[in-house]
Amino acid sequence: MNRSWAFHFRILAVLAVLGIAAFPVYWMAVTSMTSSEELFAGSPRLLPDPAQIGTYARALVSTPLLTWLGNSLIIALGTTALSLLLAILPAYALSRMSFRGKLLLALGLFVTQMLPEAMLVVPLYDIFSRFALLDSLTGLILANTAFAVPVVTWILKGAIDGIPTEIEEAARIDGCSRVGIVLTIVLPLIAPTLAAVTVIAFFQGWNEYVFAQTFISDESLKVASVGLASFVGELSTPMDTVTAVGLTYTLPAVVFYLLVQRYIVAGMTSGGVKG
Amino acid sequence: MALRFQNIKKKFGDLTVIRDISLDVGDDDFLVLLGPSGCGKSTLLRMIAGLEEVTSGEIHLNGRQVEHLPPSDRDMAFVFQSYALYPHMTVRRNITFPLIMREHKWWFHIPLVGYLAKRRIEARPDIRELVAITAQTLGLTQVLDKHPRTLSGGQRQRVALGRAMVRQPAAFLMDEPLSNLDAKLRTAMRAEIGRLHHRLGGTFVYVTHDQVEAMTMGTRIALLRGGDIQQFGTPREIYERPANTYVARFIGTPPMNLIEAQFQGNSLRIGDRLLRLPETAPRGDDRKVWLGIRPDAISLTAADAADALPARVTLVEHAGAESLLAFDPGNLRVGHDEDGQSEIMASQSGYSDIAAGDRVGLMLDIAQASYFDIDSGLRID
Repeated sequence: MNRSWAFHFRILAVLAVLGIAAFPVYWMAVTSMTSSEELFAGSPRLLPDPAQIGTYARALVSTPLLTWLGNSLIIALGTTALSLLLAILPAYALSRMSFRGKLLLALGLFVTQMLPEAMLVVPLYDIFSRFALLDSLTGLILANTAFAVPVVTWILKGAIDGIPTEIEEAARIDGCSRVGIVLTIVLPLIAPTLAAVTVIAFFQGWNEYVFAQTFISDESLKVASVGLASFVGELSTPMDTVTAVGLTYTLPAVVFYLLVQRYIVAGMTSGGVKG
Repeated sequence: MALRFQNIKKKFGDLTVIRDISLDVGDDDFLVLLGPSGCGKSTLLRMIAGLEEVTSGEIHLNGRQVEHLPPSDRDMAFVFQSYALYPHMTVRRNITFPLIMREHKWWFHIPLVGYLAKRRIEARPDIRELVAITAQTLGLTQVLDKHPRTLSGGQRQRVALGRAMVRQPAAFLMDEPLSNLDAKLRTAMRAEIGRLHHRLGGTFVYVTHDQVEAMTMGTRIALLRGGDIQQFGTPREIYERPANTYVARFIGTPPMNLIEAQFQGNSLRIGDRLLRLPETAPRGDDRKVWLGIRPDAISLTAADAADALPARVTLVEHAGAESLLAFDPGNLRVGHDEDGQSEIMASQSGYSDIAAGDRVGLMLDIAQASYFDIDSGLRID
């Protein structure tokens, strides 16, 4: 009896937390499907009004939403790919090799994390203008990658630390080169962590605002985060359109997360060596 | 000589792990590197494999100098204490992996292309057959398509052996491969590795701290301590003619008793008893020695019997087939090692009726005894 009580309580607690997490999204959905008049009426709607689905169509027609999302996607995927590419080998080296200045290098990676983006905007702007990287998605990918790589490197290093060195030694004896070990042994074994850092790097690119706002002035290169903010007007903010665009902006990210999260399962290395 | 070490030294910074080791091991020999923790036996094995660099000295395998070669070019297989299987690969792929690596090309790293190429090698008739035979030998046929995490400890260890076997290497190196298994499985696997050696031939180098494994499996034992070889010989030589008191105490359970004695002409004085030395025993005028006598070379008689050392029983352990008895040495000086044990041990076959506290006489069969210098501990012949 007691056990079933505890069980039910747990279910309730989980539902409560879930509710708190999901409510803002639900509220966005409701707001996006409520007419402007009703939004500012006294009592808010609790259920969406299906008749207002046209807000989405209007948002798509009246704003370059698809272009924004496309640009955001390019930046997010570019940041993800470049970050992983640049982080895997350093993470392996930091984990497995010993060399002079290793600790300094490892800690130095974090220096970039200590400075807020806003502080780096001006010097970066200067550098990017010299290299003709302003008003280009490549420039934004580079800027975002610079912020994602240290975190990705450290997380990957932690995961590689967890692989028993005997497995790599066995591979060396079996004739595997260092690069071969990283590609055929290490990467498959840290697949869950790779999935996790993919999510981190992706969201770094997808959500970034400060650089995107500062470095891009070409309308056709605008990203969704900046586009979304552009609705906030001095005189009025069309809440229904903002939330409709906002929800559309959230969806690809959620889909990406759902695609990747199934790889985030623990226990991949179990069974290789005696625990 | 199949495997030859020549003045091998190994240092980690200022710490010397292997002092100066030279050994010759013949074809089809089963060499056991035996010793306590930290004696350098695993380091020596890892140097043979190429996982550790040699500070100085040479290693030759079948006439080829190998210490400068990378591990994969030495034609040796290594079985790790922790199995070191590839957790993300099936048993079949684990066993095939060394064969795939033999034909590895850079483009195997390209996703999908590499996957297909490896699948193709795995499916080739000659490789399938080799894997099938190996799996059958080791009783792994049923689990070939499973992942290591679903296997028991014994099965995992057999997969590790299989991965070593398919390479048909010139030498098998094994680093305490049985120490993670339970006692019963260990005995079974011990016999299995012994049979493997008989069937496959080739040089085996086996590291263990377990003297029973060393005695039962090895054709040659090198007993190490502090980076030095204490004795190198057949199990029988090491058991019957230990080179020094350390070897004498390390091999045998319970270990050899060391009792202070003194040569007197053709006799040996132990305490106040004078025992007649056999013809083959060494002599030395009034020289003090350690008399080394195995527990099974001590028999019991009445406490007041002539030629017997009187002793009081302090402990009796019944192990079924034999009983172990410990005696208070009284005013006799006995040699002991780090464990601080200062009793005389004897073993009696069967179930002994003697109880702790009894007074008995110890008859020493000194025809089976060894003698060691009292200071240096070295054997006297």
